[in-house]
Amino acid sequence: MAIAILIAALAGATVALFFQPRWWFPDAISAHARAYDSQLVITLWVVGCIFVAAQAALAWVVFRYRDRGQQPSAAAGNNTLELLWTSATAVVFLALAFAGQGIWAGVHLAGPDPAALRIETLAKQFAWTYRYAGADGVFGRVDIRQIDDASGNPFGIDSRDPKGRDDITEALLRVPAGRPVELHLKSRDVIHNFFVRELRLKQDVVPGMTIPLRFTAETPGTYEVPCSELCGLGHHQMRSSLVVLPPAEFDEWMREAQQKVAQP
Amino acid sequence: MTNIARTGQSLLIAASSMLFAAFTSALVVRRAIGGDWVSPPLPYWIWLTLPLAPLASWWIHRGRTGWAMAAGVLLVALQLAVLAQLRLAVIGEAFCAVLTAAHAVHAAAGVAALGRFGVNAGLFWHFAGLLWLYLLFLLGVWA
Amino acid sequence: MDARGAAEGRTAVTLFSTDHRVIGKQYIGLALFSVLLGMLLSLVMRFHLVHPDSKVRLFQMLWPDGAPGGQMTPELYLSLMTMHGTIMVFFVLTTAPQSGFGNYFLPLQLGAKDMAFPVLNMLSFWTTALSLVTLLAAFLVEGGAPLSGWTAYPPLSGLGKITGPGQGLGQDLWIVSIALFCAASLMGAINFIVTVIELRAPGMGYFDMPLTCWGWFVTALISLFAFAVLLAGGILLLLDRSAGTSFFIPAGLVVNDQAQTRSGGSPILFQHLFWFFGHPEVYIAILPGMGLISTVLGVFSGKKVFGYKAMAIAMLAIGGLGFVVWGHHMFISGMSPYSSIAFSVLTLAVGVPSAVKTFNWLATLWGGRLRFSAAMHYALGFVSLFITGGITGLVLGQPGLDIYFHDTYFVVAHFHLIMGVAAIFAIFAGLHYWFPKMYGRFLHEGLGKLHFFLTFALVYAVFVPLHFAGFVGNPRRYPDFKEYEFLKTVLPLHIGVTHAAYTLAAVQLLFLGNYFWSKRRGAVAPANPWGADTREWSDD
Repeated sequence: MAIAILIAALAGATVALFFQPRWWFPDAISAHARAYDSQLVITLWVVGCIFVAAQAALAWVVFRYRDRGQQPSAAAGNNTLELLWTSATAVVFLALAFAGQGIWAGVHLAGPDPAALRIETLAKQFAWTYRYAGADGVFGRVDIRQIDDASGNPFGIDSRDPKGRDDITEALLRVPAGRPVELHLKSRDVIHNFFVRELRLKQDVVPGMTIPLRFTAETPGTYEVPCSELCGLGHHQMRSSLVVLPPAEFDEWMREAQQKVAQP
Repeated sequence: MTNIARTGQSLLIAASSMLFAAFTSALVVRRAIGGDWVSPPLPYWIWLTLPLAPLASWWIHRGRTGWAMAAGVLLVALQLAVLAQLRLAVIGEAFCAVLTAAHAVHAAAGVAALGRFGVNAGLFWHFAGLLWLYLLFLLGVWA
Repeated sequence: MDARGAAEGRTAVTLFSTDHRVIGKQYIGLALFSVLLGMLLSLVMRFHLVHPDSKVRLFQMLWPDGAPGGQMTPELYLSLMTMHGTIMVFFVLTTAPQSGFGNYFLPLQLGAKDMAFPVLNMLSFWTTALSLVTLLAAFLVEGGAPLSGWTAYPPLSGLGKITGPGQGLGQDLWIVSIALFCAASLMGAINFIVTVIELRAPGMGYFDMPLTCWGWFVTALISLFAFAVLLAGGILLLLDRSAGTSFFIPAGLVVNDQAQTRSGGSPILFQHLFWFFGHPEVYIAILPGMGLISTVLGVFSGKKVFGYKAMAIAMLAIGGLGFVVWGHHMFISGMSPYSSIAFSVLTLAVGVPSAVKTFNWLATLWGGRLRFSAAMHYALGFVSLFITGGITGLVLGQPGLDIYFHDTYFVVAHFHLIMGVAAIFAIFAGLHYWFPKMYGRFLHEGLGKLHFFLTFALVYAVFVPLHFAGFVGNPRRYPDFKEYEFLKTVLPLHIGVTHAAYTLAAVQLLFLGNYFWSKRRGAVAPANPWGADTREWSDD
């Protein structure tokens, strides 16, 4: 009896929490992020209905069949019912599984865009560095023996390769609004994770691999990038920022950065 | 052999099979993606172990556990000799070492079980023998 | 108390007993110790999360290196987290429902005299105990316990102390401990399966076994196939650490400014081996509970369990499908995005038999005459928590949606509810239900119900809000939230959760008191106190 009320109350409180505005997603800043949000909302409604129905049913049978001296039924099974609820659940669950593939395909199955701005992203314990190809549009070779964080060469850009001389190395990830961007995620030591909440994107950065991550940010602003895969004692401080600039401002910044590299 | 002993051995074999299946799938994946694979150079005399497994099984079949144990001991000794030659820094040889060592443990356990339980432990020994033939193929031929 | 119970009091003194009842109690004792330790570690962590700058004398006394001046270091926090997860998953959730209750009651319910291999049974308990000691020793060695989490992903776990304190000897001990645990679990699994196959009472078919036996049987089958794979992963990881092999360590690493001389290894390969074990592990924790809950709901509804055969088949389906969904832990790991789609469909498919079980539990209650014993309360609480924790699987099982939630507190909330708390409610239900058989006395019913109500409300208060930290994007495994602007908004939520966690822990004293008091002073129980029809109650 009391337990029926408690189950109903806790389920109600759980549902109510979904209507508080305080702890929720930040605003979406890309078409993918908006698609993500609508798929999530659909899923939450389906899940919410199942949750309420199941908890209510539990609370109700507990209340309805409390011991009032009645004779318990002798029912011990019903194959029609089993078949019915198995297939109904299978239909709902599998429909969710298939409906959810769209946003996944949008991030991971689209081919590379030749017009995309390519930025190499290097993770190490416990910092992020970004590399732009510079004026020639080509990344210079790297040689791990030339890695030197102190002199600003965490990538180990090979000084013997002329294509690397104009590469720009930055601690902030600056991208132009509205233009497709392709990050090439690499790690130098352990597994890290690149996460931008506003883009609804998260990708492990695995040593030994180069993993592409594509997005088009639309809203200018500064967004935090928290490392989201345990990488050691500085994991919680491995912070970076994504700075989305209006295209003109980005071009201006890029021009200045290129000039700075050109004059040693 | 009692049903309990036979079922118990079958399950032990299932668990061991999973262990070697896991090592095998690791080998297959690692070989395909590492880009640093060279075929492990097994010594030619490793093929001397080829007849040991079926021979031991045959002796067990005939009730000659003593002979079977001797064959098992010889197999383990040769496996240890192989292990001494392998360089762990080379990935193909490292897999050889892991699989050979894991098998040597099984073979040694099989010998001990033959000593303790006689032909009742034969099922496990047959498995260990078959497993070694499989490993010889995997390491000596396929990889 | 019957004569057998009194005799047991004496045999329990024998540490190396081969009697399944003694071993069952030993396992439950080991799990009880472990759960208290694991809970204390979580309280220290919750405290540090909301008071990251506090200096605490006690911390300094316990961990002189990890908390100099009482100020907890990040590495200490991460090592507590690693140990909390490892202790809870292995030494509580894997140990109590299966090895504890299973050892005690499987032979009794099957009408067998003992397990099939009593000596092996004793060995597997003591191997488990040795494994626990090895794990705890990691606290005492130089550098302390490992900080790579219970998942121990390389290269963080594969390169030694160069990747962080605790990654030296502490991580080695962790791997050895897990390897020992694998060996113990394999021995246990073989013992359980042989017992079920060979020692059922004459005339008892598989589909005549109580659902509890089905739970232990399927769990043992899962253990048999899963732990060998974890063992393989552990062996390879240990070699990467100590023998310079490159199974999981790729070429060209520069760690802590030191270039590494490895070649070609794959960190993701370890994740495949780990999660091939790791996902079935979830079912190892929950299936024995499912079996027990079915029994308790039936007994206290005055009915037969609804859809007995469907329930048994659902367990087999969960056990089988559980082996082909491991990839959903790796959606964002960098593995092929096409395999994510397959894993996603299979993952939602494994939800179907779980839902079928829930329908059958509701149908069991339907039309019954419910007697609200303490055990029944926990069983009903289990069903509610199983729904709450399981349903978020429909969100996380979609790779597209998992992108955002992966490695956030949403996942922490999900697995604590479904795997942790639900399974622990099953343990509570089991203790209340079987205590009369184990000790000849009742656990105090009123105290049990009070403990239930407080615990039930408080686990909701602790774990439901954590989903919302996940909505904000709060990453897990952070020792503090000071570095990020967006995490400032979550701090009040964490403060609330921490207070609920303190209260929840305090409430557990009610249970402990009840347990130890009732063992000596509890009301004496008759032979079949609940009117159940399974064999353990009619056994001599």
